[in-house]
Amino acid sequence: MTDLIQMIVSGIATGSSYALMGIAMVIIYKTSEVPNFAQGEMALISSFFAMMLLTSFNLNVYLAFSLTFLFAVILGCFLEFAILRRAKEPNVLGMIVITIGIEMVILGVVSWKFGAEQKTMPFPIDPYDSLFIGDIFLKKLDVLTLAAALFLMAVLFLFFRFSKLGLAMKATQQNSVAARIVGVRTNGILMVTWGISSLVGSVAGLLISPTIMHPYMMWDPMLKGFAAAVMGGMTSLPGAVVAAYMLGIIENLFGGYISIEFKTVVAFVIIVAVLCFKPSGLFARHYVKKV
Amino acid sequence: MDMKRDYYEDVRLFSSPVVVFWFVVLIGALYIFPLFAENYYVYVANYIAINIIVATGLNLLVGYTGQISLGHAGFFAIGAYGTIILMAKAGLPFLLALPCAGLVAAGFGFLLGLPALRLEGPYLAIATLGFGLTITQVIGRMKLFGGREGLHAPNITIGPWVIDTDKEFYVLLITLTIFLLLFMRNLIRTRVGRAFIAIRDADIAASTMGVNILYYKTLAFAVSAFYAGIGGGLYAFVLKFIEPEIFTLMMSIMFLAMVVVGGLGSMMGSIAGATLLCWLDLKLRNILDIPYIGDWLEQLSKTWFSITGVSNIQFIVFGTIMILIMLFEPLGLFGVWIRTKKYWRTWPF
Amino acid sequence: MKKNLMLLVFVSLAFVLSLAPTLFAEVGVTDKEIHIGQWGPQTGPAAAWGSVARGTGAYFQWINDNGGIHGRKIVYHMFDDGYNPAKTMAGVKELQEGTGIFAWACGVGTSTGMAVKDYLAQNNVPWVGPAAGSLNWVNPPQKNLFAVYPLYDGEAKALVKYAIEKMGKKKVAVAYLNDEYGKNGLRGAQEELKAHGLATVAEVSFEAGDSDLNPHVMKLKQSDADMVLIWTTVTHAAKIVGTSKAMKFEPQFMSTSTCSDFPLMMSITKGIWEGVICATFGELPDSDFPLIVKYKKEVFDKYAAKEERWGVFYYSGILFVEPMIEALKKVGPDLTREKFITEMEKIKGFKGLGAEVNFKPFDKNDMYSRQGTSQTFLVQCLAEGKAKKLTEWMDIK
Repeated sequence: MTDLIQMIVSGIATGSSYALMGIAMVIIYKTSEVPNFAQGEMALISSFFAMMLLTSFNLNVYLAFSLTFLFAVILGCFLEFAILRRAKEPNVLGMIVITIGIEMVILGVVSWKFGAEQKTMPFPIDPYDSLFIGDIFLKKLDVLTLAAALFLMAVLFLFFRFSKLGLAMKATQQNSVAARIVGVRTNGILMVTWGISSLVGSVAGLLISPTIMHPYMMWDPMLKGFAAAVMGGMTSLPGAVVAAYMLGIIENLFGGYISIEFKTVVAFVIIVAVLCFKPSGLFARHYVKKV
Repeated sequence: MDMKRDYYEDVRLFSSPVVVFWFVVLIGALYIFPLFAENYYVYVANYIAINIIVATGLNLLVGYTGQISLGHAGFFAIGAYGTIILMAKAGLPFLLALPCAGLVAAGFGFLLGLPALRLEGPYLAIATLGFGLTITQVIGRMKLFGGREGLHAPNITIGPWVIDTDKEFYVLLITLTIFLLLFMRNLIRTRVGRAFIAIRDADIAASTMGVNILYYKTLAFAVSAFYAGIGGGLYAFVLKFIEPEIFTLMMSIMFLAMVVVGGLGSMMGSIAGATLLCWLDLKLRNILDIPYIGDWLEQLSKTWFSITGVSNIQFIVFGTIMILIMLFEPLGLFGVWIRTKKYWRTWPF
Repeated sequence: MKKNLMLLVFVSLAFVLSLAPTLFAEVGVTDKEIHIGQWGPQTGPAAAWGSVARGTGAYFQWINDNGGIHGRKIVYHMFDDGYNPAKTMAGVKELQEGTGIFAWACGVGTSTGMAVKDYLAQNNVPWVGPAAGSLNWVNPPQKNLFAVYPLYDGEAKALVKYAIEKMGKKKVAVAYLNDEYGKNGLRGAQEELKAHGLATVAEVSFEAGDSDLNPHVMKLKQSDADMVLIWTTVTHAAKIVGTSKAMKFEPQFMSTSTCSDFPLMMSITKGIWEGVICATFGELPDSDFPLIVKYKKEVFDKYAAKEERWGVFYYSGILFVEPMIEALKKVGPDLTREKFITEMEKIKGFKGLGAEVNFKPFDKNDMYSRQGTSQTFLVQCLAEGKAKKLTEWMDIK
């Protein structure tokens, strides 16, 4: 019994970092319908930026993290403004290739600057300190990740539902021409979306880097986050979060009871199964195409 | 200028005798090439030809049928392992084992095509991506496939002809490539190809016109997987050694990039895209040997970046080229070609 | 008819004459230069291993600045293959057929090396010290290929033996990476345990892409092992030890030479690596072994880039090619591949940075004719990345 609870708790902990990446992907997809393959690397460069501030410039942790968040927002806005907006008559596949290109460029810059050797980031919480409730353990860092994921989800959910900017984003997503006619600056909206998404991603990156940092550290979280976002419906924030936790828990239970060898791929098998029954994911309304 | 006046003109393989002439010249040049080139360039040509096969197959799926696949490295792996195992364990000759492995890949393509009937966009991307990752994981765990220790490719013999050099393999490979490309061109120009295009443009409209969506979508997946499988089978003999780690997600992404960079829905585009990206992939590592620029980059690394990571510049250049092509020409290299052609025809206006 | 025959004779004569220079001098050797090549991942997921190739480069520079080898300078061709076998093959062919390489040094990675192994054998190009401990190099042995890296199963045997005999451990669990490297470690451990009438209490396999290790470590904890042998990547090893600590599961950890870079391990585990016992393939980078001190001062301090670290990977780039340089020196001024291979075979009891190196004349049934090393010693990690030598060099065939 303890094992079962422990696995579920570990699953929730793992799911949190997937959830953060999933949220980041959903935000961009919601407005621009681009699955952003550069999401992981955007978080990567922000994490390395934070590490540089902490180790080379000896900044205070809180100051360094605030600067990192600022950097992440600027990075997101810049990428949208300088690259994606410049695409002529964009089609979705072209946009995907552009994000893959961005991904390669950022990966190249990070490895060029920081080298390939593994590092860790100084962090107020020791990544291997844990809390015990009875026999169940939970790493303190995971608690923080969980809190961050839930907090960001709630804030963003309210933001999209009630704030003027959030509503404008929704309008842009549903019909950008109509939105422009009623006075929404769709270009600006897209830029802000990228900024917010990059910020959420950087939170995920910062929470992964105290454990270990290397240029490829964001691949797995990014893919799993993408998978969770798809399973949740790609346009639904709570959907992405719930799906991310489901994935985390399923992975852990599968690893614990069935086969640890296929733990990494079971997520994708389940997604294919889910999508067969709900082709638009668990939480998105099925969009019926008309001729 | 490209107007078609009747049906037979539309389905014709070559549009004019001039094209036939140039085609023959090109084929001749391709066959003479190994007599003059160094062995290394023949190897590069082999590598590119394999990628052309896969890119053409993927283009059928992505460019003509409007689906997406991030799992083609999986089919590629099935083809590679299938060919070697059919040869080593079942004792089939190469020319039989290769299409058999291709058919196995096509079978998997058909299976993957089934969920694809209901999925599109990112949903399909994730489903195919999952397929690619799962295949390599399964192969890496099975004794039959040699696990992570990998498999060695046996020697190829066709009748009395033992193929053990790059140049001999080139002759075989280029013959197969030309054959597969012609087959694809035919396929696209006939009823089947038009059905694919109709599905891409509007699948519901197509089905009301009497196109069997179930049949044609899964067929597109199967044919595309068949091409990837054949490519994989040939790749195994270029490398002579395969292991699951070779068939990464990055490989699938590169296949997709070749098709998109080359130009969706254009065979010449796929050929150009595969050639360009493979060539960059193999050649960019020498970027520091370019006079002046290399020195400048080294100096730049010493002051601002790190000299240990200087090779990563190739990623930056590669990514930038991909971004620039897509930014300025959404039709990819094929679009650039069309534009230049038009420019020359209408010059000086 | 006669005319044709004359023509044929002329043509064949011209052909033979054009070949002549390559018949007399060896490929990749001129009066002033010896061309040596190496591949190593400078980009991609395995790029941390790339410092092996850079270490070799610095060592060759040092040799050149100290007069070279019999008046010849080493021209070192290192290229980046991104750990992609297709690119390794392309690079090797380009250099071998374009520039002409006398011999290949190290080369990181099993799959990359396997891709070019047959090609180098066909052309009879010497290849010394592939930087991966794989049975594939020497099983079956190949005339041109000399392995310097010790076999992993030997290391595992030494560790398990120490745990059982000196520390009284009974319950051994193995955490291994699912590839040849990990499986060799697992096999060594199983064999040694069997010799003591024991068996593993848990065998947990890892995939290179796994990032969440909680389920794996739980498996280890459930087995209640008192010694865990870690045969994974550096990243995984750090996470395993850390996650175990978070779970309050604290057995004795032991690990392979890959993870014996204590300063690195201490920094990425934030100090939890202390107390871990590792096998090693050479004297440690921070030890006061005279040759280490010398190389650190004369090679590393002078030729390494400022971001470089005198770690295990970097200095193993020197370690793997030492026998090669030794043989090159012994051959003398008249250098050919045939003579080089003969000199390599004569290497007996050679002691550089690493274990004693012994080769034998080629015997296709004896893998130790091409597997040069079979020694290791054990060290324990102390605070601040210092190391305590637990044993002397010992034989582990």
